[in-house]
Amino acid sequence: MTVVLWLVAIALAAAVAAAVGRVWARLGAGGGPWGTALSRLQRNAGGMVALRFLIFVASVAIFARWLAPFDPNVQLDIIALASRPPSLAHPFGTDIYSRDVLSRLVHGARISLAVALLAVLLSITVGTAYGAIAGYLGGRVDAVMMRVIDAMLSIPRILVLLAIFALWGRVSLGALVLILGLTGWFSTSRLVRAQVLQLKTEEMVVAARALGARHRRILWRHILPGVTSTVVVAATLGIGNVIILEAGLSFLGVGVQAPTASWGNIIADGSSNVAGMWWMSLFPGLAIVLTVMAFNIIGDALRDALDPREIQPA
Amino acid sequence: MTTPGTGPRPLLTVRDLRTYFRTDAGVARAVDGVSFEVMPRETIGIVGESGCGKSVTSLSIMRLIRPPGTIEPGSVVEFEGRNVLELPEGEMRQIRGNRIAMIFQEPMTSLNPVFTVGEQIAEVARVHAHATRRDARDRAVEMLQLTGIPAPAQRAREYPHQLSGGMRQRVMIAMALVMNPTLLIADEPTTALDVTIQAQILELLQQLQERFAMSIILITHDLGVIAEMAQRVLVMYAGEIVEQASVSELFARPHHPYTEGLLAAMPTLGAARSRLAVIPGTVPAPTRWPAGCRFHDRCRYAWDRPEREHPPLYEVGAAHWSRCFLAEEPARRHPLTDLKAAGGGA
Amino acid sequence: MSRSLLSVRDLVKHFPITRGVFGRTVGAVRAVDGISFDVKEGETLGLVGESGCGKTTAGRAILRLIEPTAGQVTFDGVDVLALDAPRLRALRRRMQIVFQDPFSSLNPRMTVGAIVREGLIIHRLAEGAAAQARVKQLLEEVGLRAEYANRYPHEFSGGQRQRIGIARALAVEPRFIVCDEPVSALDVSVQAQVINLLQDLQRDRGLTYLFIAHDLSVVEHVATRVAVMYLGHIVELAAADDLYAEPLMPYTQALLSAVPIPDPSRRKQRIVLTGDVPSPADPPPGCPFHPRCHHPAKDVACTRIIPPLETKADGHLVACIKQLPTRITWEEQQAAGATMPPERYVPLALATRS
Repeated sequence: MTVVLWLVAIALAAAVAAAVGRVWARLGAGGGPWGTALSRLQRNAGGMVALRFLIFVASVAIFARWLAPFDPNVQLDIIALASRPPSLAHPFGTDIYSRDVLSRLVHGARISLAVALLAVLLSITVGTAYGAIAGYLGGRVDAVMMRVIDAMLSIPRILVLLAIFALWGRVSLGALVLILGLTGWFSTSRLVRAQVLQLKTEEMVVAARALGARHRRILWRHILPGVTSTVVVAATLGIGNVIILEAGLSFLGVGVQAPTASWGNIIADGSSNVAGMWWMSLFPGLAIVLTVMAFNIIGDALRDALDPREIQPA
Repeated sequence: MTTPGTGPRPLLTVRDLRTYFRTDAGVARAVDGVSFEVMPRETIGIVGESGCGKSVTSLSIMRLIRPPGTIEPGSVVEFEGRNVLELPEGEMRQIRGNRIAMIFQEPMTSLNPVFTVGEQIAEVARVHAHATRRDARDRAVEMLQLTGIPAPAQRAREYPHQLSGGMRQRVMIAMALVMNPTLLIADEPTTALDVTIQAQILELLQQLQERFAMSIILITHDLGVIAEMAQRVLVMYAGEIVEQASVSELFARPHHPYTEGLLAAMPTLGAARSRLAVIPGTVPAPTRWPAGCRFHDRCRYAWDRPEREHPPLYEVGAAHWSRCFLAEEPARRHPLTDLKAAGGGA
Repeated sequence: MSRSLLSVRDLVKHFPITRGVFGRTVGAVRAVDGISFDVKEGETLGLVGESGCGKTTAGRAILRLIEPTAGQVTFDGVDVLALDAPRLRALRRRMQIVFQDPFSSLNPRMTVGAIVREGLIIHRLAEGAAAQARVKQLLEEVGLRAEYANRYPHEFSGGQRQRIGIARALAVEPRFIVCDEPVSALDVSVQAQVINLLQDLQRDRGLTYLFIAHDLSVVEHVATRVAVMYLGHIVELAAADDLYAEPLMPYTQALLSAVPIPDPSRRKQRIVLTGDVPSPADPPPGCPFHPRCHHPAKDVACTRIIPPLETKADGHLVACIKQLPTRITWEEQQAAGATMPPERYVPLALATRS
């Protein structure tokens, strides 16, 4: 019964992936610089495999409620079903509290991805704004703003996070996103600033100024679109980074709080007996490794596809 | 179609050179059946606009074509009696930078920023002549002096970024001439330079040609530079030679409509300030050369024949060849004046 | 023809050279070092010089695309440098610029239509369908097809892109256009198309041009008057015919003699200058050209006296104290150590116009 459900679930997620893929292909056919970049991305075999995998993981996360065979937090039978290795009924085994690991993994995907996505969204927004302001204004303002970034970047992020959690103790998911997001934008802002500095001296920007365009128009129409590719690549690579970071924090017990499942704390739940309960670290570990790898591959593929030098053929 | 010669043997003979690039957009026939000869001590100019294949021609002679480019089988580049296209790479390296040297438009990108210019010139002597470190260094300073660089011993210790554009081009020339080559290929050597510096470099090249008794292939888009430097000219368009003549003949009696159009389109110092003649349209993409005569869609004389047939090189004067059916049907040429009334195309 | 549309007085632009983290100023690149000239209504003033002479900086400082360090710019009676930001934006309708590089000057992410339309929208000249129609009209006026409006810049050749840049400038109906090396990136055959287009537009719309270029032949072809720049100074300013027929500044003489002429039968004398242009961060004292000068009367006074740009013949201004007549008297020159009295020196019998 569970096996059938499980197969249906996979089929469902695959169908969603295929549908997204078809819309995607149509987008790539439309001309323009973005269309060109998209069709270039579509020709990148590795990138497309990674992308399909991520669409699959994302669908699993979105439909977790219906896909998970059990409630992830319910202790099914603490006496008979605790710490069972993989079986037909529980393909990824159960944990010491007799919870179904597959269900926890599926729901954990939701938490891990959502935390990473939102945190990165926050950090690229702040980072882009900060970097764009520094780069566009230039001069003293820029110098001061960049020294602040230098100072921030000189402190290892993990130390900052551990210090925060040591002071704070338990944090809600919202606070976790906020903390991860607000400690992750420094390098993005640097990248954006460098690009804005270069873009603002380009003749197309001088031309816009010569036409009498206001700063807002110049920033939105002529500078920020030129930064998008950098930001998209940085964000994609950043997501992988935050997934690992969140998993690490959850493993240490300061990230996502029990009993909520995340890939990190599933591993933590099995950490007392890694050798004996190998399924507790193998499956979430694989999920983390594959997902992060996929994000990194796509980040590289995007970097190639969005290379502005390729937008202008000689 | 090559220079008929009973006199001295040519130093370089290029026969039916074809260099194609196989790209996603199709096969780009960048150089498509080019033949010419270079005599000892001669300066031959190759002139044409961007994309005409003049630089690919020179890189093919040096065998510096990288994938996806290939020199097609059947092409011949005979230098000092040997077809260099058939030499093993090791022997080719003995010719490159030694017997045939090359200088480029942008010396900054051809020089290594982390070595002093002296070291870079000395390196050539060490590789090709197996000179000792001291001899090579002396040779470098001597070469810098020859190229008119003031305080050469001191300049030899400087890095490329410390030199001006004109000085860097002199360094490139010094490096090219270390081994006393018999052929120098100069690809747009003065295009990046200011006009007063250009004059210095052109004069230097003329002096050095005399001193080293070498031949020069001068590639440029500037007909003025050609007129001052070259004895013979090849005009290239769309991967082919469309006209070949001595400098005086070409400028006095251009035959091919493209050459004629180029000369008329150039504003010339001291010339009457009339409206410039225009060649309509742009150079076609090398993946899509027009059928028939490759210039017919921009030609003011074009009729049905050049649209269908590809013209051969006709001998239209003493040592003067032109790839145009006007050689057979001269009555179709009409006066240039109404060309000026024709507006500019795309 | 006679009224001055643009008047530039003692325009200076120094770029500070900064060191260290917080940008301590340790010196200045004297890109434009006090230039004055007028551009008359309907004329083309050519501004020529070699790279680094300050001609591009001058063009941009006049439009306040770079803020000048000092000086005065008057456009049609308006003190340009005194304008606040909104008034300056409004004035941009009247003063436009066409760039050298047809690649970097067009936003690769905008359609050709959006690029040309931008000025119309900024100055609220047309909207919606009216703007569309105007864009089509402009594209046709510069020799492009109206349907190109929906394409992107990378689909076009250099010459076509330059036409797009011209259409963008024309959209706001300017009276004055700074043409900053508009044809130097183009092939010869295409260059002629763009030059002709600029001349047609000038005739049809009564435009006034400041035509910045390093190519002396092109400038001779388009300009009514020509100003020659060297190391941030204007060293000669005259009607094009006079300047090309009888250049009086030794630098201009050398510059003209250096231009290769596509006519092997017209071999000419050449003055080959020695050395390079000095750095504008450390210009020589006195006359900026003295280290490379070939004037027979050159002496130590040239290294001490900054030559004023003064009238040597009718409407022919030259900055040289050794070229007669000069208001720097022989006594003053001697006081500065002069040993060679000024004399009229025209070494070149340049080919006269056919």
